[in-house]
Amino acid sequence: MGGILSNIFGAGGSDGQDSPHSESATNVMSFHSSARWQLHFDSCKTSSQLMVIDFAASWCGPCKIMEPELRKMASTYSDVQFVKIDVDELSDVAQEFQVQAMPTFVLVKGGKEVERVIGARKDELLKKIEKHRAQQ
Amino acid sequence: MAVSAGFEGFEKRLELHFFGDDPLNNLIDNEMGLRLLDFESLQEVLDAVQCTVVSAVGNQYFDAYVLSESSLFVYPTKIIIKTCGTTQLLKSIRPLVDYAHDLNLTLCACRYTRGSFIFPKSQPFPHTSFKEEVFYLEENLPINLCYRKASVMPSKLASHSWHVFTASDAQATTRQLVSGDVNATFTLEICMTELDRTMAKNGDTAGKEMTELTGIGGINPNPNSIICDFAFDPCGYSMNGVDGDRYSTIHVTPEDGFSYASFECVGSVYDDHDEVAQMLKRVVQVFKPATMSVSTTCTSHEVWTRVVHAIEPLGLKCRSCVMDEFPAAGSVVFQTFTATRRK
Repeated sequence: MGGILSNIFGAGGSDGQDSPHSESATNVMSFHSSARWQLHFDSCKTSSQLMVIDFAASWCGPCKIMEPELRKMASTYSDVQFVKIDVDELSDVAQEFQVQAMPTFVLVKGGKEVERVIGARKDELLKKIEKHRAQQ
Repeated sequence: MAVSAGFEGFEKRLELHFFGDDPLNNLIDNEMGLRLLDFESLQEVLDAVQCTVVSAVGNQYFDAYVLSESSLFVYPTKIIIKTCGTTQLLKSIRPLVDYAHDLNLTLCACRYTRGSFIFPKSQPFPHTSFKEEVFYLEENLPINLCYRKASVMPSKLASHSWHVFTASDAQATTRQLVSGDVNATFTLEICMTELDRTMAKNGDTAGKEMTELTGIGGINPNPNSIICDFAFDPCGYSMNGVDGDRYSTIHVTPEDGFSYASFECVGSVYDDHDEVAQMLKRVVQVFKPATMSVSTTCTSHEVWTRVVHAIEPLGLKCRSCVMDEFPAAGSVVFQTFTATRRK
């Protein structure tokens, strides 16, 4: 719960439960164990907050293009939760979400997938975030 | 000049193959090789060519980028860049070889191909003529690529020739002669002009809609294949298809008077014979060109016959067929087709 609340109030940054990513103060959370991820995901099921999950790989060029864009979006949309998952690290989660190409952005609300963007498509992702963040 | 030039749809294509410097092993399968090139370096290379990335996607096998003037595919040991308009594609060679060198990768083969420009006088250095392109390639390729060949393959139409330049080092050439290409892969480069007007009009719509409306999305029936598409302003459309380790790419310049579309894909001689035929049929059905050229590059000799059998039943007659052999690359067959019935 703490993770969601700190994000809604714009505290940003990784929640205390997870070891923060070495990339300074970023509003994008990353998870390094499936268990922690599952805990977090389950705790968000009752929330109507939009969550954007970025499935990426360290060796994938297109993912690197989106990294700074995602950080910008996370700063702009403080009412939206941004999460980054490394497909090699959490391969079971990537498989569960049927990720076949990277980057894949899965938009989730109340534990359910509402939208998906495949590829480094900044404008399309922005459009979809705008579309889903407002709805209750 | 009485005639003002329009947008040049005919692309220039460059394919570069690299070899790991480590004498003990040439890039283990899970090493990412060229994919480790950071984005800034890639952008620098593209700046030299004067194009930028507009969309991108990657999977475990390769990265695919849609560029402002065509496409870029980055595999661990292979890069393919295909650009249209007035881009200076060959200028990417030097920076790419340098960056690859930093990753302990050495260039071992190069292949440059293109059709005939609709507006050749609009092309900048070094693309003002094939002769100039070959001269530039000779000057800028490292000397270890000692087997070189340049050829202009003709057709019955003076405006449609296929230009090929290949260069390979001793190892790449011997490897191909001795063991052949294990997967017997082939590359199909298709250029279409005088497109069906209705289809070309759809070039005004957004990328995804264009993919669906025109039926381009259905060309590769594999549901697991991914399409990365982009519609340009004011018109024009590009798409990269990602299917396992295979890429495909389509580019459309819809303007009347110089409408053009290209389709390129790879396959294997061991694929289901029907698959390639069906795909070619779909391509023709979507674009309905009046003139079409197909260049097949393959280490084996069978693919081009399948091409003719697939296309002729659709009202396009094969007007010419020429073949040439190139070190390491294998044979290149260049065929041209024109519609038997005008609509």
